[in-house]
Amino acid sequence: MRAGFWMAVRPLLAKFHRMVAGEINWVEALQAADNAAVLGELRAILLNGLRISLRDRHEVSEAHLEDFAQEALLKILERLNQFSGRSKFTTWAHSIAINTAFTELRRKRWRDVSLDALLADGRELNEPATMADDTFGDDQERVRLVAVLRKAIAEKLSDKQRAAIAGSLEGLPFDQIVGLLGTNRNAAYKLVHDARRALKQHLMDAGISLETIRTTFAE
Amino acid sequence: MKPLTKQQLVGLINSVDATRDQELNCADCQNFAAEFAERQLVGLPLNEALARVEQHLVICPECREELLALKKILETSG
Ligand SMILES: [Zn+2]
Repeated sequence: MRAGFWMAVRPLLAKFHRMVAGEINWVEALQAADNAAVLGELRAILLNGLRISLRDRHEVSEAHLEDFAQEALLKILERLNQFSGRSKFTTWAHSIAINTAFTELRRKRWRDVSLDALLADGRELNEPATMADDTFGDDQERVRLVAVLRKAIAEKLSDKQRAAIAGSLEGLPFDQIVGLLGTNRNAAYKLVHDARRALKQHLMDAGISLETIRTTFAE
Repeated sequence: MKPLTKQQLVGLINSVDATRDQELNCADCQNFAAEFAERQLVGLPLNEALARVEQHLVICPECREELLALKKILETSG
């Protein structure tokens, strides 16, 4: 009986070892009708990855990790046809599990912020009290860089652009900023992208060289 | 709004400096994250698509945080 059990189990174990080593086609195995054992194996791999990546987050319990792994597993099954094969399957799967967990943890960090408060922060962003001339010391070139940036924020950006940038600097999750602005991720991304482009153009027009920026911040 | 720290202001200026006309969004970045992390860990060169991931990481703290977490897993589990 015992010998029979091991005879049956050994090929399965060998299969998992090959799978972990990337020698077996995970996509095929997960799509098979009898995928329960493979699913269990992948869940264990994801859980282990989540334990490693969230080791320092003491607010995250083992039960949370198991929920994240389960949720990620469902997403992975939905997206199997999106796996490009340009990385190991397990790395791709870990990336989905991490995104699942971090998105949820960020949502829990949402703070009690109103749109009015966000817009007010945006209005204050370009004030010297928020962005002090001597943030980087009193070197003339650095003081000028900060002053030009402040002027660009005041003159080139819309209220919503200033608010989005202020929120992001204060560590608000991007999804919360999107929600407060009553828009969607793509539109909010474009809003911020346009803002960064306008600021970059203004810095270049003012003769602030990218080299100055890089040497100032390489320290 | 509280006064910006030096670190916050560096983050803002770096993201302005790194701005390109064509950029990936977070979903695109996530699609390339696994390949990017594996190549970066062994020091393989990045192709054009992966260079755009690198640029996105400068401007997006959330994708940056996730990529660091992914690399931590790869480094730890081999
Ligand atoms: Zn991103």
